[in-house]
Amino acid sequence: MLAILNKYRAAFSVGLQSNLVYRVNFAIRGFFSFFHLIVVFILWGAAYAGNPAIGGFGFAQTFTYFVALIVVQFMIGAFNEDYQISEEIRNGLINQFLLKPVNYFAYRFSIYLSARLVTGLLILLPVLVTYPLLKDYLVLPADLWRLALGVPALLMSALIQFGIAYCFGLVSFWLLEIQGLVILSMALESVLGGQIFPLDLMPDWLFRLSQYLPYYYQMYFPVAIFTGRINDPAAALNGLVLQAGWVVIILALGQLLWRRGLRLHTAVGG
Amino acid sequence: MNLAHYARIWLTAARYSVVRTLMFRGDFIIWALVELFWMTVNLLMISVIYQHTDSVAGWSKYEMMLLVGTSLLIQRFLMGFFWSSIFEMGRNIRTGNFDFFLAQPGNVMFMATTRKIDPDSLINSLIAAGVVVYSARQLGLHPGAADLALYGLLIGCGVIIHYSMLVLCITPAFWITSAQGIEGSYFTLSEFSRLPREAFRGVANIAFVWILPVVLVSNAPASTLLRGFDLRLVGWVLAVTVIWFSLAVFLFHRGLRRYTSASS
Repeated sequence: MLAILNKYRAAFSVGLQSNLVYRVNFAIRGFFSFFHLIVVFILWGAAYAGNPAIGGFGFAQTFTYFVALIVVQFMIGAFNEDYQISEEIRNGLINQFLLKPVNYFAYRFSIYLSARLVTGLLILLPVLVTYPLLKDYLVLPADLWRLALGVPALLMSALIQFGIAYCFGLVSFWLLEIQGLVILSMALESVLGGQIFPLDLMPDWLFRLSQYLPYYYQMYFPVAIFTGRINDPAAALNGLVLQAGWVVIILALGQLLWRRGLRLHTAVGG
Repeated sequence: MNLAHYARIWLTAARYSVVRTLMFRGDFIIWALVELFWMTVNLLMISVIYQHTDSVAGWSKYEMMLLVGTSLLIQRFLMGFFWSSIFEMGRNIRTGNFDFFLAQPGNVMFMATTRKIDPDSLINSLIAAGVVVYSARQLGLHPGAADLALYGLLIGCGVIIHYSMLVLCITPAFWITSAQGIEGSYFTLSEFSRLPREAFRGVANIAFVWILPVVLVSNAPASTLLRGFDLRLVGWVLAVTVIWFSLAVFLFHRGLRRYTSASS
């Protein structure tokens, strides 16, 4: 057991080192994300002019939602895991894992964790720098149940984020080029995952429908628990169950794609 | 080196791009869909916001749609005619492949920024134009030929301004060869172009309306359609176009002098 853990700890530390090389790039990316907050601030500020509440939430609540979204994205979002996996399949680097007692999913997941450790810490930089400007517009509810349910929701969101990227990467066993497919699904994810607007502002039937889709649990769900857009612990608990269901489905799909893909794999290059 | 000569060069490059697209039809369809999806995302955002309010900075829903449609239209033209070439320029400067353009029969800036066109973006410009027409109909607008010509002129200026800004985003590659990802800074800027000018106050007004013309570029044609001809606005856009284009030409050629064909 300990030997197994050591194996992936080594992968984690290699991932950590290679991600630290790009720390400046990540930091710059983080600061650019905060530029996006200016757009959010101007647009929603104008929408809120004359409206004390939109969808039952004040301006500060909505703004906090968007800030939290960026922070959570750097903490758990899959950045380019799908490309990396796709590259390893296409240029044959994946062959070395087939010959060694290494579980490819666990190996990739260790690297994902190390990468998110780096980006998750780096995003705190722009948060700290801009905090004096932001603090008047940030409101975080301080209920204990939000922590108790939000943290597991966040962890499962990370699994869903990584799981979806893993599946897309594995599609490379069948298709040479996945870039278009990935960006296409990114557009869908950004809407149904709540990155363009808080999902609760959608028409009611669409909002209900979205709760049965995996995208809802990729980002919106934990952020909504933390920022007070979900205020009923029972509903949040219900959401956790559905989220767990999606985690199982996506991980199983990844496993299936891996098994089927390997049968097709011709191990070119290496 | 006259205009006909450049037109011939451009047509040859365009024909080559179209042939390439026909070779990779699957790619063409996927990328056209990608752009269509992202355009829809922007329109969805507008409709969700207007479900909860009637006016954003004094703009009604369809006025806002017209603004977003205009901004998307300018962006499609930029993407269709210049994006691939300018994006690759950064990489070529870094790797030394830029040499290829120095040996070509024409102005280097022209050759390097117009080499590839993207038919998928150009197809989607029809959709963006459709959004503008649909919004104008919903608003009961009946623009005359002069209004339409003016709208076209302002769109053209907008494309030139965006082109200049994009070139300016890439030009630092002549000095700092490791500056990867500076292309992304342009996208952050273009997000501002979908907002109404009236929403900008204070520092934001100075930065994004006066210093960087991103907001002006989309707002000027849209408000010309909505509120008619305004001499000051059109004059302002024309002046800004000349200034930014000159700046791009000047800095590009300054950078070109630094180019050492360094590669590894």
